[in-house]
Amino acid sequence: MLSTITSGAVYGVRSHLIQVEVDISQGLPCFQIVGLPGSEVREARERVKVALKNAGVKLPPMCINVNLSPADLPKNGTMFDLPVAVGIMIALGKLKQENVEGMLLLGELGLSGELKPVRGVLPIVREAAVQGVRRCILPAGNAWEGALIREMESIGVRNVKEAVALLAGETVSVVKPGESMDGNGAESVVCVTAGEVACAAASVEEKAKEEQLDFSQINGQQGLKRAAEVAAAGFHNLLIIGAPGSGKTMLARRIPSILPPLTREESLEVSTIYSICGRLQSVGSLRTTRPFLHPHHTITGRALAGGGRIPAPGVISLSHRGVLFLDELPEFKRETLDILRQPLEDKQVQIARSSGNYVYPADFMLVGAMNPCPCGFYPDRERCRCTPFEVRRYLNRVSGPILDRMDICVEAVPMAFADMTCSGEAEGSSQVRERVMAARKRQESRFAGSGLHFNADMGAGDVARYCALEEEELRYMERMFAALQLSARAYHRILKVARTIADLDNSDRIGTIHLAEAICYRQSDHKYWN
Amino acid sequence: MEDGERVRMTAADGTEKTAAAEDKAYIHWLYQAVGFSSRGFLRSLASLGTPREIYQMTVSGVLSGKLSARFQKKAERMLEFSRGYDVLGAYGRMRERGIFLVAEGERQYPARLKRISDPPYVLYCAGQLPQEEKKAVALIGARDCTEYGRYMAGQFSAAFARAGVQVISGMARGIDGIGQTAALKEGGYSFGVLGCGVDICYPRENQELYEMLLASGGVCSEYPPGTGPRGILFPPRNRIISGLSDAVLVVEAREKSGTLITVDMALEQGREVYALPGRATDPLSGGCNRLIGQGAGLVSSPEEILGELLEEPQRNGGRRKKGAQGSLIFLEGVQGQLWEILDFNPLPVQELQRRYEERYGKAIAFPILYKELLELCTDGYAGQVGGGHFMRTMKT
Repeated sequence: MLSTITSGAVYGVRSHLIQVEVDISQGLPCFQIVGLPGSEVREARERVKVALKNAGVKLPPMCINVNLSPADLPKNGTMFDLPVAVGIMIALGKLKQENVEGMLLLGELGLSGELKPVRGVLPIVREAAVQGVRRCILPAGNAWEGALIREMESIGVRNVKEAVALLAGETVSVVKPGESMDGNGAESVVCVTAGEVACAAASVEEKAKEEQLDFSQINGQQGLKRAAEVAAAGFHNLLIIGAPGSGKTMLARRIPSILPPLTREESLEVSTIYSICGRLQSVGSLRTTRPFLHPHHTITGRALAGGGRIPAPGVISLSHRGVLFLDELPEFKRETLDILRQPLEDKQVQIARSSGNYVYPADFMLVGAMNPCPCGFYPDRERCRCTPFEVRRYLNRVSGPILDRMDICVEAVPMAFADMTCSGEAEGSSQVRERVMAARKRQESRFAGSGLHFNADMGAGDVARYCALEEEELRYMERMFAALQLSARAYHRILKVARTIADLDNSDRIGTIHLAEAICYRQSDHKYWN
Repeated sequence: MEDGERVRMTAADGTEKTAAAEDKAYIHWLYQAVGFSSRGFLRSLASLGTPREIYQMTVSGVLSGKLSARFQKKAERMLEFSRGYDVLGAYGRMRERGIFLVAEGERQYPARLKRISDPPYVLYCAGQLPQEEKKAVALIGARDCTEYGRYMAGQFSAAFARAGVQVISGMARGIDGIGQTAALKEGGYSFGVLGCGVDICYPRENQELYEMLLASGGVCSEYPPGTGPRGILFPPRNRIISGLSDAVLVVEAREKSGTLITVDMALEQGREVYALPGRATDPLSGGCNRLIGQGAGLVSSPEEILGELLEEPQRNGGRRKKGAQGSLIFLEGVQGQLWEILDFNPLPVQELQRRYEERYGKAIAFPILYKELLELCTDGYAGQVGGGHFMRTMKT
């Protein structure tokens, strides 16, 4: 007899639904899986065999053939265990094919028959919902993940016995997700529906962590905070230069706290990536805060961009819609940093493998921090005795094209004692975020329908369209262009940043005062030394 | 100095040569063979005969017999060096590259140097030597100078050039190079004393100045061409800088600074030492202020030095030229206020914001601060360093 079960697999951030076809017929006893199975998929045979035996189902000595269709896509992962097991049950006549119609099945089996959580549930369920599937059976640990998709009814089961019972139409008691987590063994099936997973409610842990980091903890550094506010409002890349211990890292860590919260759409994008990496588990719901990643400077190119035989998302994809913070920028290997160039431009990273092209989104805000010179104290001549040559060599360690993509360059200065001792009057993140949100709203309405999110996303054409200057400002920029010997690229960058500053100022018109501030945030390119 | 040489030598045939040129070729050989560090050795060699005779002794192998035991190794090295060495050819090739050699005792050897206690036996030169009848000032200072030092070095040097005073310095980074460049640009004469061979431009960023010096000034070194820059070679050259000058002006120096070595040399040689004062808090004026405390001449305008040097009253002697001092700049409104709190040392924006509030009793918002600072920058009253540091500049 033949059976067909709908399952799915992840390719990059895209997923495909996979039909698991099982046929059991007379012949020499065998159990084989075809359809380009990877080694984990091939091993499903042994897991399914033993799991079914321990669930009380004995496989007859017959010829079992499993086909994963479309057969030309390579299959990896352990999510096919449950569909294969259920497919065998149908083929054996213990379940009916119509029981699984319109249903998505995913899950890894243990030898005892228990179901274990798998990676990439969110993108697969999302794809299934798009293709009209309305119910899914998932391992209990993944059930809430399926429920994140509103159209989907997500049912979590703990073992293969429950799954079979559920499909056979037997009544099983249902628990709410919150109760299911406490390990109360009386109830068996976890049925989670949309809305029960409150998307807004981030897990307690994450919230607590977020509250710990607040702008109010940074005393002084007004110039730095202002620049961070502008960067956050327009999602501009930010370069912080400053002496050791001047608070560069402290500030960078707090940037997510002033960024606007993720929209539902963005939240799904980010959660998808984390689901693929199997890192959504620890969060326990959709990610609602923007990611903040700060890789160590010894990171390899593969870890940064994503890689492996079957490419896994790298750090730049994990920081999608969030902040990628590179501390001690000159310490990073040049080749590693150069990998960032294409993702910074395209907002995604493409990884080509013989098995196909994998595309991961990588739209992040790059925050870099570095010392101004080898000793870190330039231009304080009391302490810094670095020669111009040494400073230039130090700065040259950061590749020019990367520096070129930094919209805002700002300095952290060593703190004055007065700043350290004054307490309580520093502005909190929530106040800053309010202003950022207002600026964000202005950008939203301006870019409605254009596909742009933030001012930083504007290309040259968009700059001409959205950052048109009035006569007076045009003359001002003409004067500045000549006096400061700006390049065309710097000019565009200044206009983009000025647009954000004007947005923060709640002004439609970009005034000279906005332009002036944007000009001061430009990098004085290679003129770090006079 | 071509007249002193009286020869045209070509390496290829070597037919046209005179005794004077040949002697110099042997001197050139000697300096390369001996190495520049062996003064005592040179003295004992000199007692044996002329360089030509020493060459003969070396190649015939009798030299080591005439030297004391402690110089045996050096004699061996000389023999080693001389094997296959083409004395006249090497000298000719050097001459072809525009480098000439002036030995102590020659007519064109700078007269000022003859009077110092430890004159170099030989000077390798390119370009022109300083003129004896014209006055010369050594303008020296820190390599990592401030905007103030930069401005002052330029102003003083240009004034010297206009008055026909020659500017001697070490072609180093910072004050040295800035002063020499300003003198040449003003159409004056400048002479660089190098710590490496005259065919090497060190530091490399002074390439433009080096070429200008070759074209309309001169460079010299007591080390043979091809000698690379090494730390130990630089302090001895300072005695030549002060030795070639009538007066020494220190523009900026830290309390512990190589510049002060030159000052010590100058004092030993009996040269007048002047220093440009700075604020007590500026690390780069510490050396100058201390020199003044110890009796160096305090100068605030080039005319004060020129007056003494040329022994003729300058037209506005002792009084500053208009515009030379920053306080004559009049700016209005916030810009003027900001200019007042700016410093020659770069200050971060938030420090400026704090100073403004402290001094004028009212807060200034970042956007306005940035706008006004930028105006000052574009008008040349201020400069932006790095990302967020601003400083006062000297408007010229």
